[in-house]
Amino acid sequence: MRILSYFCLIILLSACSDGANNNGVYPQENISIVIPYGPGGGFDTTVRVFSPHFARKLGNDVTLLPENMPGTGGRRGTAMISRSDPDGYTIGILNLPGLVLPSILGEKVDFQLREMSWIGRIESQNYALLVQADSHIQSLDDFIAEEEITFVSIGYGTTVLAAIQIVAEQLGLMDKDIKFLTGYSGTSDQLVALVRGDGNATITPISTSFQYVKSGNLRPIVVTGDSRSSYYPDTPTFAELGHPVLSQLNVQRSLAGPPGMDPAVLGKLREAFLQVMEDPEFLAAASQAQMDIAPLNGEMAAAEIDKNFQYYEGFKANLSNPNQL
Amino acid sequence: MLEPLLTAFSYLFSDPLNLLYLVLGVTVGVLFGIIPGLGGATAIALLLPLTFGMSPEQAIVLMGSVMGAVSAGGAVTAILLNTPGTAPNAATCFDGYPLTKQGKAGIAIGAAASASAIGGIFGLFILAMVLPIAKSIVLWFGPPAFFMLALLGLTSLTVSSGNMLRGLIAGCIGLFIGFVGYDEIGGTERYTGGVDYLWDGLSIVPVLIGLFAIAEMLALFVKGGSISEAGSQSRIRFSDTLQGIKETLKNLKIVASGSVIGSLIGAVPGIGGVVASFMSYSFASQISEDNSKFGHGDIRGVIAPEAANNAKDGGGLIPTLAFGVPGTAEMALFLGVLILHGLNPGPMLLIEREYTIFVLILTMLGATILSASFICLAAYYLVRIAYIDSSILIPSVVSVSLVGAYAVHNTIGDVFAAAFFGVIGYLMIRFDYPRITLVIALVLCSLMERNYTQSMIMFDGDWSGFFRDNTALTLFMCSVLALCVPLIQVIRKKKS
Repeated sequence: MRILSYFCLIILLSACSDGANNNGVYPQENISIVIPYGPGGGFDTTVRVFSPHFARKLGNDVTLLPENMPGTGGRRGTAMISRSDPDGYTIGILNLPGLVLPSILGEKVDFQLREMSWIGRIESQNYALLVQADSHIQSLDDFIAEEEITFVSIGYGTTVLAAIQIVAEQLGLMDKDIKFLTGYSGTSDQLVALVRGDGNATITPISTSFQYVKSGNLRPIVVTGDSRSSYYPDTPTFAELGHPVLSQLNVQRSLAGPPGMDPAVLGKLREAFLQVMEDPEFLAAASQAQMDIAPLNGEMAAAEIDKNFQYYEGFKANLSNPNQL
Repeated sequence: MLEPLLTAFSYLFSDPLNLLYLVLGVTVGVLFGIIPGLGGATAIALLLPLTFGMSPEQAIVLMGSVMGAVSAGGAVTAILLNTPGTAPNAATCFDGYPLTKQGKAGIAIGAAASASAIGGIFGLFILAMVLPIAKSIVLWFGPPAFFMLALLGLTSLTVSSGNMLRGLIAGCIGLFIGFVGYDEIGGTERYTGGVDYLWDGLSIVPVLIGLFAIAEMLALFVKGGSISEAGSQSRIRFSDTLQGIKETLKNLKIVASGSVIGSLIGAVPGIGGVVASFMSYSFASQISEDNSKFGHGDIRGVIAPEAANNAKDGGGLIPTLAFGVPGTAEMALFLGVLILHGLNPGPMLLIEREYTIFVLILTMLGATILSASFICLAAYYLVRIAYIDSSILIPSVVSVSLVGAYAVHNTIGDVFAAAFFGVIGYLMIRFDYPRITLVIALVLCSLMERNYTQSMIMFDGDWSGFFRDNTALTLFMCSVLALCVPLIQVIRKKKS
């Protein structure tokens, strides 16, 4: 019992002391970094790898505290970031185009992405179009010539399904016998479904698919992005094969704070961010965690929002739910 | 296979830090298992930052020992308070709690701990054996097979409920609740009433906390006194625990069947331990000659679910490691730990890092045995909970449970949900409706619906496709068989 009381006392004492450095410069206290998704996923990993390095560059011995706020497909956490005080002590990691899609699909959103204070982009993942390794489909032309295509995908409203729908439309597959087998719980689940043969094609971020290609289960046909992927140097890009529009499909992870942040504070965050992106220690940790580092500074990350809105707005007619009841 | 096993073994003992991590992981695991609401997922999330400076193998030792220990801890609260510490311990309540009321809590805890240890060892043994063919097991289960498995889970409910009509009603309520939320395939919101909290549907932990922890405390409040109705604190003996261990050893057949069910169901992602332990329970009550005491304090009713419960962890690692498809929230977090340390789960992990996998298996083996011994040794003190007066017990349990509910997703909505289901749970106790039936239907609902819709897309709406899928057909046969069992029993009774 006495040990327990001591323990409680220590906890109380440590709660009372706050590690403020009174040199008057931001940051003076710990910074919360909101992750709008559950622990263990891609966004969570990114933040956990990134935050210790970011804290070091911000100085003043502050700590970045990752806070998972999953729910409503990332919208709950994003709304939380958007509503918090713009004092620089709450920031978050956001998903593009994942958070652009709901407003395009006509769903209620409680945040304005364009008005948020963008700190910078950490990652950008390109997609690969995959088939089973023993499939007779060898090239994009074979794929387009295929009569029956069943795409396996995660559910409606997600970036992956939107990418699949845009690819299908651009390649002119919509007149064929095409099915969108949605509802899988994640991209790994999707890859397993393809290995099993629930469908005959899928699209996932390249890095997620790499293990399955290496093990000889799946084969990439074509990738998005401006240049070939270092994972699949022999796989052509959509642009090379005459579909430059599709090369823009990707999923990005960017840091942002609430709208109306003090320019001095935002400037400090952006500066520290760019330093982290060049820090060899961070880059080593990131490559160990299979992250696709593709840094953009704050202004350019903010510009990506408009680009995304424009791009997906253009495909709005193709993004309706393929399995609407 | 032997060489990486030996390397892993010598690695574990080469560094005293590893043993420290093992003990730390087991301690945290048992504690988090015991406290309702907190489970393996919370423990892993909290320990995750600690692993940053560690080597991948050290991180695996720490996390593996948490995973190996959690489910054994959860049995303690299930037995003493009728409140499963973690969701899969729910089936242990059936017979564990009546035993506590009869003053036999020590025996029940001893039996539960030893059954989990043996089940856990069995499950890991199966894992090590099937690793080379792990891939094909996961590949057997497409949407049609998943649907049939969910159906089998629901069928086992009807067979094992004492009062079938009430069981069915509770199951239907569970299914109704399961429909709440956003339907990913149809793309519509259902029964959310515009409330954001309901968009993701009701998650299992707050519902479980409400139905069991809060409801039980309400019932105790109405009844007054302490939980145990027989015996007294002065009569607690350490030999009770030993007797519990003996009971387990006497019923090795039930331990074995529970372990097999646990590993099999555990290997299927998404079904989870609740169903595994429940199916093991109902299977044990079906094969036992004299099953009249099941539900009223039969020790076999504690042994069966606990064996399955720990065996499922071994099975659950198969889809996580071989495909990066986590079956439970706990496994999803563990997956995150692996990725953070540069181990990419997927088909190549088993080939490239066989030794690391064996470190994990050995750690979990150690954790299973260690946690069971912890609990057996602590049982003497733990049992006193059953004799604490309700005026002290109720506020402590309620506050801890509500914090547990909040901790799952950091949302106050979960606390309200727990309180709401607390009232529902109390009414269910009062009017004698089985609560676990509701929980299992809730767990299976989204799985069943999603895979049904997917199958229909695959088969172009032709449901005969279910019978062309071998796994689905086999599972369907099992459901038919399970439905026939009570009928056969009735006929046999009439003849004799």
